[in-house]
Amino acid sequence: MTSMMERNVTVSRTALIIAAALLASPVLAADPIKVGLSGPYTGGSSSMGVSMRDGAKLAVEEINKAGGVLGRQIQLIERDDEAKNELGVQVAQELINKEQVVATLGYINTGVALASQRFYQEAEIPVINNVATGTAITQQFVPPNYKNNYVFRTSASDAIQSKMIAEEAIKRQGFKKPAILADSTNYGQLGQKDMIAALETMGVKPVTTEKFNIGDTDMTAQVLKAKEAGADVILTYAIGPELAQIANAMAKLGWKVPMIGSWTLSMASFIDTAGPNGDGAIMPETFIQLPTTPKRKAFIDAYQKAYNIDRMPSPVSAAQGYDSVYLLAAAIKQAGDTDGRKIRAALENLNEKVEGVVTTYDHPFTATDHEAISANIPVMGLVKGGRVVPAHPEDLEGANALRVKPKG
Amino acid sequence: MDIFAQLLVSGLAVGMIYAVIAFGYQLTFSTSKTLNFGQGEALMLGALVGLTTINFLIGQKIGTFWAYLLMLPVVLAFGLMQGAVVEWLGVRQAIRTKSEAGWIMATIALGIIFRNLAENIWGRDPLKFPSPLPERALQFGPVRIQPMEIAIVIGALLLMAAVELFNRRSIYGKAVVATANDRDAAGLMGVNTSMVITFSYALSSLAAAFAGVLVAPVTLTGAAMGAVLGLKAFAVAIIGGLSSGVGAIVGGLILGIVETMTGFYISTGYKDVPGLVLLLLVLSLKPSGIFGKATIKKV
Repeated sequence: MTSMMERNVTVSRTALIIAAALLASPVLAADPIKVGLSGPYTGGSSSMGVSMRDGAKLAVEEINKAGGVLGRQIQLIERDDEAKNELGVQVAQELINKEQVVATLGYINTGVALASQRFYQEAEIPVINNVATGTAITQQFVPPNYKNNYVFRTSASDAIQSKMIAEEAIKRQGFKKPAILADSTNYGQLGQKDMIAALETMGVKPVTTEKFNIGDTDMTAQVLKAKEAGADVILTYAIGPELAQIANAMAKLGWKVPMIGSWTLSMASFIDTAGPNGDGAIMPETFIQLPTTPKRKAFIDAYQKAYNIDRMPSPVSAAQGYDSVYLLAAAIKQAGDTDGRKIRAALENLNEKVEGVVTTYDHPFTATDHEAISANIPVMGLVKGGRVVPAHPEDLEGANALRVKPKG
Repeated sequence: MDIFAQLLVSGLAVGMIYAVIAFGYQLTFSTSKTLNFGQGEALMLGALVGLTTINFLIGQKIGTFWAYLLMLPVVLAFGLMQGAVVEWLGVRQAIRTKSEAGWIMATIALGIIFRNLAENIWGRDPLKFPSPLPERALQFGPVRIQPMEIAIVIGALLLMAAVELFNRRSIYGKAVVATANDRDAAGLMGVNTSMVITFSYALSSLAAAFAGVLVAPVTLTGAAMGAVLGLKAFAVAIIGGLSSGVGAIVGGLILGIVETMTGFYISTGYKDVPGLVLLLLVLSLKPSGIFGKATIKKV
């Protein structure tokens, strides 16, 4: 008799659950919010692309676990642009027209960003660049030439980086004869121009400016020229493999001066290929894999656990990718809608303070300023024993650990 | 003067790599009047197969130096096979139908396929190749040389000498030379010329694969590594002359040294220009190359 009762109870409880599920299903089955994620997950810059993607995925998982945004889950639509401009354009069109994303995050390569983001601008869908650093990226569609700018950024632009490089070399470390070595791509040449301009404001002229191509295997000539010009420091704007060739050529020639350059000196392909020759290289970093704040500790722990690794391939990309998702989620929440125009307006006047890995974002964007990272946020990192550590530990100690964009 | 010597040495090492690849172009051209435009890809495949092999051997607790030596026969055998496949798929048909350009398109297409294949197997990231020799530079008077640079020069010369010796001394080599001199006559004398052509392609890819594992420890290994090298070696083959083994060496050294010298004495931005100017000069003054034999094409 009792067992009969129990069964009845069980049956009715099951029915109740089913009924509840049926009632709730319109909410549960609400369409996910689709967010595009475009980056090179294969190829020479894939360590940055993959880290960015993994960081973004981590943030999306956390947000979804906590109930999503506007009661809906976020769904990342990942597409590999292979760092190719034409492929980036295809991806943009697919994400906008076929997938109908509400916003897109990503872009590691400035060229791909510049070629692709006009489609978002036209479709009035926001793009948050979370790794690409070209200064022009956020300047393509500025008012008053365009009514609204749909391009945002959460990485440190080249204008900031080149200035930091010059300042570190001349003011902080007191070098007087810098030689500039940059690759022949847009990235290298524009960075070189910015660095020369920054040096000029300090009354310093580079003793020599050398160039090389992607894929060059012998840097003897470039390094010898820097040596003969009497350089006491080498400033670089290039990417991992060629930077490693510079470090190796210096070792070969038995000449060692410090290398200070853009954040690409923290690329795994530089650190691993140059090995001990790369030790001591210094670069601006928005994030160093160290638990200097509770948020950073939680992020590092979660990342290491989720992807079962110790060293993040590109900590900066991972952190910026992670933060870009939270900024977007906050904007969608504030907009109360997934309409691109409303999200853009919300991003430009974000009332919620977003606690990110890189910094705490308090009104990070305005209608005229689409750069979340200001010059005071990045610190100098140093390659040491195959990892990036702070070049000046005091930069990340105590109250300095959390660097926030100044108001206004 | 010290700097000049240093540049000369660096240019020498780069030039010898160009020379070995150019030598490969010359091998197939002499027997069949065709070239493998996928030569750079043959180099890349050789280096990547070498990388997998050497990493496997190092995993078996074999020292890097011995692992490198043990890896060589594997890579050379792979090169032979890869070259034969290229000839079989891309060139044989074109030669049989006396197609003027079929082999050009076919070898380029095969090169692209090989590159995509490599991207799928090894990924697109440049990978580090373990160096069999210490990476510390040696000091010779004012000049500093990496041990691997010396190995490149010696290895390249040995390979070319071995192939030349084979061609001159062995009965099979004589068949190659005979085919190179006059394919129809050699055919009438009982030489299986189509076999000889296949063999020359195999040898040509062997040279490229060998160049790949020679250059890999001083650069990085990856699916894209062959493109620039293959193209420069082609310029070398044109400069030196497609019908001359010595031409490949001299052409390679000229280009390698001119490149590093220009980089230092003129501007690193114009490093590649003199090589191309030289190429244009040779093409307009002596189209068969500095060491090439002028040929009259009967139409």
